[in-house]
Amino acid sequence: MTHSAGLTAVMLFAATLLLSGPFVQAETGKDTRAREIVQRMDELYRADSSETTMEMEITTPHWQRTLKIQAWSRGTDKTFLRILEPRKERGMATLRVGNEMWNYLPKTNKVMKIPPSMMMGSWMGSDFTNDDLVKEYTFLEDYRFEMTTVDDPEPGILYVKSTPLPDRPIVWGHVVTAVQEKGYLPTWQKFYDEKGKLMRRIDFSAVRTFGKRTIPSVMTLVPLNKRGHRTVVRYLDADFNIPVHRDTFSLRNLRTRI
Amino acid sequence: MAFYWKLAWRNIFRNKRRTIIASVAIGIGLASLIYTDALIIGMKESLIRSTTASFLGEAQIHREGYRLSREAELTIDAPGRVLAQLEKDPYVAHFAPRTQAFGMLTSPANVNSVLLVGVDPLKEKHLSQFDDALEKGAWLQPDGHGLVIGSKMAETLEVGLGDRVVMTVAQVEGGDLSQEMFRVSGIYRFGIRELDTGMALVPIKRAQKMLGLENQIHEIAVRFHNMRDAENPELPFWKRYSSRGNEAAGWPQLMPEMKNVLELTDFSMYILALILAGVVVFGIINTLFMSLYERMFEFGVLRAVGTRAGGIRKLIVFEALALALVSVVIGTVLGLAVTAVMVYTGIDFRGIEMTGVHIQEIIYPVLRIMQFIKYPIWVILFCTFVGLYPARVAGRMHIATALRKSL
Amino acid sequence: MTLKMAIRNVFRQKRRSLLTALSMFGGFVLAAFFIGFSDGSYNHIIDVFTRTRLGHIQIHQHEYLETPSLYRTIDDAARVGRILDRTDGVESWTPRIYSAGLAAAEEKSAGVRIIGIDPQREHSTTGFRNRLKEGDGFSSAEAKETVIGKGLSKLLHARLGSDLVIISQAADGSIANERYRVVGILDSGNDVEDRSALYLPIDEARDLLVLDGRVHEIALVLDKLGHVARVTADLREKIASKDLQVAPWQKFAESFYKAMKADQEGMWIMLLVIVLVVAVGILNTVLMSVLERQREYGMLRAVGTRPGQIVRLVLAEVLILALICIVAGSLVGLLINHLLSFKGIRFSDAFTYGGMTFETMRTEVNLRSFTIPSVTVLLSALLVSLIPALKAARTDPARSMRIH
Repeated sequence: MTHSAGLTAVMLFAATLLLSGPFVQAETGKDTRAREIVQRMDELYRADSSETTMEMEITTPHWQRTLKIQAWSRGTDKTFLRILEPRKERGMATLRVGNEMWNYLPKTNKVMKIPPSMMMGSWMGSDFTNDDLVKEYTFLEDYRFEMTTVDDPEPGILYVKSTPLPDRPIVWGHVVTAVQEKGYLPTWQKFYDEKGKLMRRIDFSAVRTFGKRTIPSVMTLVPLNKRGHRTVVRYLDADFNIPVHRDTFSLRNLRTRI
Repeated sequence: MAFYWKLAWRNIFRNKRRTIIASVAIGIGLASLIYTDALIIGMKESLIRSTTASFLGEAQIHREGYRLSREAELTIDAPGRVLAQLEKDPYVAHFAPRTQAFGMLTSPANVNSVLLVGVDPLKEKHLSQFDDALEKGAWLQPDGHGLVIGSKMAETLEVGLGDRVVMTVAQVEGGDLSQEMFRVSGIYRFGIRELDTGMALVPIKRAQKMLGLENQIHEIAVRFHNMRDAENPELPFWKRYSSRGNEAAGWPQLMPEMKNVLELTDFSMYILALILAGVVVFGIINTLFMSLYERMFEFGVLRAVGTRAGGIRKLIVFEALALALVSVVIGTVLGLAVTAVMVYTGIDFRGIEMTGVHIQEIIYPVLRIMQFIKYPIWVILFCTFVGLYPARVAGRMHIATALRKSL
Repeated sequence: MTLKMAIRNVFRQKRRSLLTALSMFGGFVLAAFFIGFSDGSYNHIIDVFTRTRLGHIQIHQHEYLETPSLYRTIDDAARVGRILDRTDGVESWTPRIYSAGLAAAEEKSAGVRIIGIDPQREHSTTGFRNRLKEGDGFSSAEAKETVIGKGLSKLLHARLGSDLVIISQAADGSIANERYRVVGILDSGNDVEDRSALYLPIDEARDLLVLDGRVHEIALVLDKLGHVARVTADLREKIASKDLQVAPWQKFAESFYKAMKADQEGMWIMLLVIVLVVAVGILNTVLMSVLERQREYGMLRAVGTRPGQIVRLVLAEVLILALICIVAGSLVGLLINHLLSFKGIRFSDAFTYGGMTFETMRTEVNLRSFTIPSVTVLLSALLVSLIPALKAARTDPARSMRIH
């Protein structure tokens, strides 16, 4: 319940919900092609607004659960999530506006503001932390990028190595991302500690087209230092840049019965 | 008067062997008392030191209410002034300011909640024992970027020296999250679970920056020149720093259990004194009575020639007093000798944990002048008092019966 | 023959014997009392400490003590319970469930330690209701009620009758959340614990955390503290399971145990000193009395008594005296320790240790309070008479008679 899925690892997931607006032009990386690739990957998930339906399947050594979640986002600072399934959690919702976050639990009819001390706690029992859902996406600013090679390269795949800039609050030593040569769709991402040990990986699969976007619809996150843990996020439906009413992001909406 | 006194002295040395045996016995008793007293003082001081020296300090200053709720908004009032006062305070040997706030420490392997403690590396060195307990790496530098954690925390996070970690805390005002990267620069081990897991130490300036505190602090730990000052409720220290919304408390308030353990030890001392009293009583009574019965005939003669009963009584009491004096001399010398030797060698208590605290050192008995005044005087008085009984018996003796007695 | 003479001598010299005997007797009684007191007070502290919170013995899943976890449970608690019911020496037992969670009151929320207890059993085992500062506690094992620590009630600004929402993660991964009414405020004596302790009826906790019939801990209390080792071994045999661990209090309250042990080591030093002082006292009196009688022995020698017999005589006298004193001392010592084991010695200030308050310290009657003083008295008396006895035996009779 308490371990984070890795702050930067989850950025891609968070990006779907949080982002919009022009991204900041950071300093040029060593390898401009590498940077371009990452930038394009970044653009895949950005939108001024979004509405998505997804499944989150969590596996631990003791249990396995699948949550079905509906989510809305607007701008960089407004997010609303609601759990549709399973029945026990149906109606639980999270609202995030700016730096503040609230949870709603229908069974006890309780709206709870999440105190700062709990921000690193897990979101609704998943492998993601509350903070993951709140943080701004800063991958582009926090790393420098270069093309790289791997031991057993696959045909048609490019590899980008991202190394954190000094003094950034990042635990990783470096991150290797594999993207398709055509279209720069990500296939996997591997996170290493500074000693070069592989700590975690995300696999991207099931490329689908949602409206005008073609993106991998399934992300599988596996922490490699813990046995038996896995989180799979599947996009069932996604609409980008559609109008989302601002009342969606209100405390009243938290309590809406569905 | 002087006559009886001189006579008493001569009498007790008439049977040198008996006098020596008795006075040695009482002397050993006195020596034991002195030694045990010194040992107990040493043990107490060691216990206090063990408890306070690792992290707590002998006294602490906080904002009123902080100790109860530990809320990060409750920072010390007028910290600059308080610190300046402490600098000049004659009772204070060392002091160390600290910030404390709960946060999360993340490593590539794991995340753990932790108490972020911002310390002044130089001041902290003199007050707590983190720098001594360092197993790996080095102590913090004042302007540095280090982070020091306990061995158990390092284990849980699966990190070693030089590894990256990210500290996340909420700013005190507003609650925005601050995140910063640190590299583990030192790992300490106390052998005490609470200390080895819960804390992460960084230079105070960095902690203040992360927490959004400008020169504010949560706690000042204090060490006195005289360790026992902390137990003195009359010390002006408490009033001086418990003003304007702050409160100062010594370890007896911070750790009341310690105080009670020490009291229990005092009680044992009373019992020892009681037993010693018993030894003294039997020693004196035995000696005096034996010498009394031997000299029955003599006393009979003395009475027959006109010495009054009161004179006989005085004589016996003086004999008791003389015996006491000899015993005290022997006892004092013996006590001093034995204890002095122990003061050098000490008693090895290392490795034992008492009330959750490691006794990290060898215990040295502590000699105090009082021991050589209080106890000897007590022995002298008591011996003399005990001598009253045989004196009474001697005084009431029937002259005729006495003259007929012989061994 | 020697014996008869010895006995006669002892009772003839009444005064001398009495004085010598007094030092032996007094020393014995005082030493016996000290041992009875220190042992008694320690055992009393331990008993109170374990009886009122933790229990004398605890049973867990074998890894639970080392690394506690929601999933490390005793799966067949009912079976274990039946074994406990049949085991000799077990006075009472009670099951517990533990988890971490969040408690949300009207405005404030705090992290809590959720403890699921069986209200009836918990009370008969550790006196749960006695620790309730306010309120009556649980009305049943399934009610939606909670008892919170006094520190927690302050943190949450929650009182009797307040509503709390408890959130936690259940054993199946789902989010557990439920409302409970505060029906009791607890003061366990341990402030740190009380700041996060939240009790629920065990069946309710099971539902909340989806634990079926599992528990984390079974705590039991024995009729006598001294039986802990025996019953622990007994239970290990009876339960016979690799998955479960039976731990005596020395194991699960390890730092408390170490503290007690360290205190006791301190006591041993004190005892040593006391024994020394007692021995010296006896030495003093016995030595003097033996030396006084050099002339007597000289006369015996002159009459033809052999040296060996003299030695035996001296030793026999001392031995008889010592034995009489030991017996008398034992009786008196027994009496004192026995009486004080009930009434105890009152302290002027109530004494707090480990979060509990003691007002009296009890002594106890045990073997040590007899054996140690007996050995001390015997050895010191015999040793000290040996040398002068030998000397008396060997000295020229004429010479000894001239000694005064």
